[in-house]
Amino acid sequence: MSQDEKLLIDVGSTYFKVSTDENIEQHFRDFGKDILDDLVHKCGKTIDRFEKNDVHICSSANGGLSALIIGITHSYSLKYATNIAFNSGINIIDTILYQNIEDYSLPSDLVDVVVIVGGIDTKTDIFGANLYNYLEKLNYSNVVFSGSASDAANLQEHVDDVVILPNIIDSRLHIIEDHLKEYLTNLYQQDIEGKEDIKNLYDITANQIFPTPYIVNRALPLIDASFSVVNPFILLDVGGATTDIHYSKDLVDDNIVTENEYDRLVFKKLGVYKSRQSLIFAAQNNEFVYELLTHLKVTENIFFEQTEKATKVLMQLAIFLVLCKISNYSKAYISLKLLAVNSIVLTGGITKVLTTEEIEDIIAFFYKKILASEHRPVTILDSNYDIWTIGAKEKQLCL
Amino acid sequence: MKVVTGVVGNDIHVVANRLMELSLHARGYEVFNLGVNTYLEEFFDAAVETGAEILLISSLNGEAEGWGREVKQLKAKYKYLDNLVMMIGGNLTVGSGHAEDIIPKYKNYGFDLVCHQVDLNTGLDLLETFIADRKITESNQS
Repeated sequence: MSQDEKLLIDVGSTYFKVSTDENIEQHFRDFGKDILDDLVHKCGKTIDRFEKNDVHICSSANGGLSALIIGITHSYSLKYATNIAFNSGINIIDTILYQNIEDYSLPSDLVDVVVIVGGIDTKTDIFGANLYNYLEKLNYSNVVFSGSASDAANLQEHVDDVVILPNIIDSRLHIIEDHLKEYLTNLYQQDIEGKEDIKNLYDITANQIFPTPYIVNRALPLIDASFSVVNPFILLDVGGATTDIHYSKDLVDDNIVTENEYDRLVFKKLGVYKSRQSLIFAAQNNEFVYELLTHLKVTENIFFEQTEKATKVLMQLAIFLVLCKISNYSKAYISLKLLAVNSIVLTGGITKVLTTEEIEDIIAFFYKKILASEHRPVTILDSNYDIWTIGAKEKQLCL
Repeated sequence: MKVVTGVVGNDIHVVANRLMELSLHARGYEVFNLGVNTYLEEFFDAAVETGAEILLISSLNGEAEGWGREVKQLKAKYKYLDNLVMMIGGNLTVGSGHAEDIIPKYKNYGFDLVCHQVDLNTGLDLLETFIADRKITESNQS
């Protein structure tokens, strides 16, 4: 072992990965065990070789924070706050258009953070009794206001423990990310550190444990050092519980002008393990999926099988559905200019299951059927988790 | 007063847009210029976020023709835009047309003021007259 060698560990919702200079191990998590016990049981010898200072861990195993965003328009306050939340690593986001707040049902689960946004600083009397009544009935842990400065005092008076931040919208209707992003990132960080399972991991590391999306995001500007990626690109991380997409800003035609080169988007119910049922549900509701199954030479029965073949097909479906969701066919909160994409990079467990040819086949099917195009972006598989290790190493350099 | 302005739809006539912004500023308005290639929903949303009293859409070569048809339906979805002054100006038809045909059509789409091939200052004078008249009406009613 070289003197500078580090041990990098990524704890996901389904797998954990352990990387040294020599090799990388991936293990399916035992959900009956504490994460540390499971890790030590499977990789104890490797972990024992390293001092606590040389172990760096990132995790998305807390499942991510849930955020409820209340804003006053889709094009500005809700859109900007959603963009900031995704880029802060928040996974589960619901939005409420304030003028119709009475029509929305209350989420049954505890909301980790409520984000209230809207208006430029000179706009007054935006929020009133409808908001306060809704919040009174809502079960939440944190609430933050990042809207019109003229309304801040009002909010402070009526909402207990509300955190007031500078407005995310400036006087020219442009986005100001920094304050809300820092707040949400810190909240995510505290959540990770607060989880018992994660806390125990500090027994093997003396370094801060970071959220995985944060680490991946750090790797994106450096991605061409390890791969022959041509910009603009999208990166798909199809995981057990969610599918993360990181994309070049060049792929979005929109009114959000920021200094970020890349944005992030998450589909919370598209995963091949924990979210398997909702993935199947989404597939059954897509009119092209049956044609895709025929193309893959399988029938609908594959959804009910627990075989390696079924996992492969589900992963192929996940790629197809995600591409649909970010295209004009089924517009999410943004749609990407997919005909301008030069490279599609895939990372996560999917790279261990599907071959480049199998992925290219699905991408070709999508472009032909949905976009009626012969365009074929180059497919790149991050089979060795280089993206995560680049990000983790980059983080160490900055510490 | 606050004005949201911009060029609707797939229209990139940026020079006229900039001239409008400068003229509005010169007349003392607080201007929120959304620029070219702006969708209708963005105009209305900007009016909500800024609390603008006036929405001034510009268009050339009839681009507004298609978008205009959706104005009433879209505006009806907003609960607090009933008093928004809706104005449109520019060349509002494809090819050539007569103002007496074009103006009623756009008024029917939901615009209070329609300026087809009217010069900028004349159009803004009309806006000021309209606002003054509305104020008189409102004060008479109260």
